[in-house]
Amino acid sequence: MLLFRSEDDVHAWCEKRRLTPGAILDLTRLWRLACSWYDDRLNLNWRRRTIGARQAILDDVGLRGAFWRLTDSPSLRSSTSS
Amino acid sequence: MLDSQIRLWIYQHLVDACRAPSLIETATRFGITPDEVGEALRRLETEADAVVLIPGTRYIWMAEPFSAVPTSFLVRSGSRQWWGNCIWDALAILALLSLDGTVSTACPFSGRPLVVTVANRALVDAPGVVHFAVPARDWWRDIGFT
Repeated sequence: MLLFRSEDDVHAWCEKRRLTPGAILDLTRLWRLACSWYDDRLNLNWRRRTIGARQAILDDVGLRGAFWRLTDSPSLRSSTSS
Repeated sequence: MLDSQIRLWIYQHLVDACRAPSLIETATRFGITPDEVGEALRRLETEADAVVLIPGTRYIWMAEPFSAVPTSFLVRSGSRQWWGNCIWDALAILALLSLDGTVSTACPFSGRPLVVTVANRALVDAPGVVHFAVPARDWWRDIGFT
């Protein structure tokens, strides 16, 4: 995930590299995501969050839709591992 | 249990010393051999998804959100500095440690320097926009590109 000066620069960079643009976020939303995604990493008994738990974090910061789905599985919420 | 202790120690070393520990440093800390540390790191990578090793080596590449190698995302807080794997991870380092600080990078297209400032667990100066090139389901397919 890269930080660009503007959306125009994102599109110009993608065009130069012949990439399809992905998703563009403002930093405020990314900061909210950054605050919660790794907040358990300094716990001794850390275990990688389930896909469902990670999806819930994305949902909580408003990152919804196909681009933000971690799996195609319809039983996402009951998944136990990545 | 030892793997968990090694994992946490790697993180504490990254936080305190601003770099990943070597195999020998980790072996000395836990009274085991460097080969045993290497085996633990391999388990932490393949079984726990806790670290990423430089391919073909036993050297730590990532202990997310930290990068053990220089990247385009320099995190500074006081006299300490770390590397983040991406803009998300760089911000997450300040969030994880509840520190005021900055993330310095540059726009990949224009080359213009961009500095994001965090204070009191909030963004103070937040220039630019973030681009996710890869859909979420593919984030771990090629972690170096993501």
